[in-house]
Amino acid sequence: MNWNLIRKTISYRWQSTLIYSGSLAAYVLLMAAIFPSFKKMAGIQDFVKNYPKALMKFFGVESFDVTSFNNYLVMELLTVMWVIIVGAYIISFAKGMVAGEMKSGTLELLLAQPIERWKVLMSEAFVLLLGIICVVLSTVFGVFVFGSAFSVGVTYTGYLAFIPVAIALFLSIAGYSILFSVVFNQPGRALMASAGLTLFFYVVHFAGAYWRIVEKIDWFDIFHYYDPLKVINSGNVPVKDVLILLAFAIVGFALAIWFFQRKDITA
Amino acid sequence: MPKIIIGTEALTKYYGKVVGVEGLNLEVEEGELFGFLGPNGAGKTTTIRLVMGMLKPNRGRASVLGLDAWRQSVEVKRLVGYLPGEPAFYPRMTGEEMVRFVASFDGNGEDSGRELAGRLELDSGHLGRKVGGYSRGMRQKLALVLAMQKRPPLLLMDEPTNALDPLTQHILYEILNEYRDTGTTLLFSSHNLPEVERLADRVGIIKEGHLVDTERIENLRSKRLRSVEIIFSGDVPDGLETIPGVSELERAGNRVQLKLRGDVNQLLKRVAQYDVADFSVTHASLEDVFLEFYGQGKSGGAV
Repeated sequence: MNWNLIRKTISYRWQSTLIYSGSLAAYVLLMAAIFPSFKKMAGIQDFVKNYPKALMKFFGVESFDVTSFNNYLVMELLTVMWVIIVGAYIISFAKGMVAGEMKSGTLELLLAQPIERWKVLMSEAFVLLLGIICVVLSTVFGVFVFGSAFSVGVTYTGYLAFIPVAIALFLSIAGYSILFSVVFNQPGRALMASAGLTLFFYVVHFAGAYWRIVEKIDWFDIFHYYDPLKVINSGNVPVKDVLILLAFAIVGFALAIWFFQRKDITA
Repeated sequence: MPKIIIGTEALTKYYGKVVGVEGLNLEVEEGELFGFLGPNGAGKTTTIRLVMGMLKPNRGRASVLGLDAWRQSVEVKRLVGYLPGEPAFYPRMTGEEMVRFVASFDGNGEDSGRELAGRLELDSGHLGRKVGGYSRGMRQKLALVLAMQKRPPLLLMDEPTNALDPLTQHILYEILNEYRDTGTTLLFSSHNLPEVERLADRVGIIKEGHLVDTERIENLRSKRLRSVEIIFSGDVPDGLETIPGVSELERAGNRVQLKLRGDVNQLLKRVAQYDVADFSVTHASLEDVFLEFYGQGKSGGAV
């Protein structure tokens, strides 16, 4: 890795990382503040009980208990919105790494310096890793702080166990997003490909909750290994799932390096 | 025997089916200022990028001081200062930060960068501003500083005087000559014939991806083509077409237009015998040079 490049990348990315992290913490504050009123709402338990079973399975909530903050947070934030927001952060960051610098012409400036291409990619990916850790921790610590403030009953060990799963999921998204950033010269195309594949994985996982045939092939899908409620309720890190997600990340990143080493820089 | 700094052997690069360069063989010697002359899209930038290790050749190889430009590109880049055709910077960085950022990769060049910036009239006030607000000329000056600040043994410059005013161009020529005096080799591209004549020791002429010829600059001067227009106070004298180097002579009243190749003195001596109302000389276009000296057939198979 190259520390000059890491410093440069941090100086360019810290503001957006701070905005995402702050916004997610604020989102958690909103969730925690609403929860006490939410669980008192008349009829909410019956309303949610009537959700399609497959949808409840998708959220990982087989029997919904409205008094559980974990259930509420998983359904309202961690299964859908959180993945979309952090996914957008990662895809936006990754598209700028190679495709963005190629389009702006700064990649030519960078590669005119005596530095190996793989080190350029490693350095920028390291900053993305720091960014992912930052947004995940801001959410989890937001749950700790605001959950305590509103006495919603937070299971601390559960959320601590959730941290490695979340980081591994987002690293797997980062892996293929960086690959697309290397393969495509246009940042827009890199963004479309990354967002499209993430959506595809999500739809397959969603469809797997409805159709057995899809469930059978869900094993290749990153969201198959992401079950936030199970992890938060059990407090155990699913080591196998984390390793599989990290394998996705490593394969994506290794392919990105392989392509980048051979890529023509045409500015 | 002179040391070869840049060598290319059958260097070939295609963009899909389009020829970038094809079968390019070139040697540039130590301390030489080598001008790469050709119209836009001729393959100048592609060649420079191949030597810089930005592009992977389809065939052949490029080397810098014996190092393979693609396989040993990091070692090559330690020896090379590179000016791209369209310089780009991180817009939120100041010029000073850009100088420091680039110097940090080589471990030197910061002081030299500031000195060069000053000479190119990019003073500390300009360097303290964010690059995003720079004019085209200032960006070019900063790019020149970044390319030269580590005082590399080889400079690769793609259109170095782009967007520079004539005064700054003159300063740049001075700096490049000073670098040459300390042993620096320069390969630069241009589509400007007078600029190449002024700066280069030797010229490579490239057209449609093929190296048409390489010439010492003296030889190019002797072949130099000019367009001449003379307005006589009286009638146009006879026999101008018999002066060596004169061709394509056209008369219109007391005005005559002609092409002149090589030495201008014989024409001047002859014309001085008459009363001349106006006399103007313009450089022939690159296309004229190619057509006059190299012809369609000599420009390679891709034509």
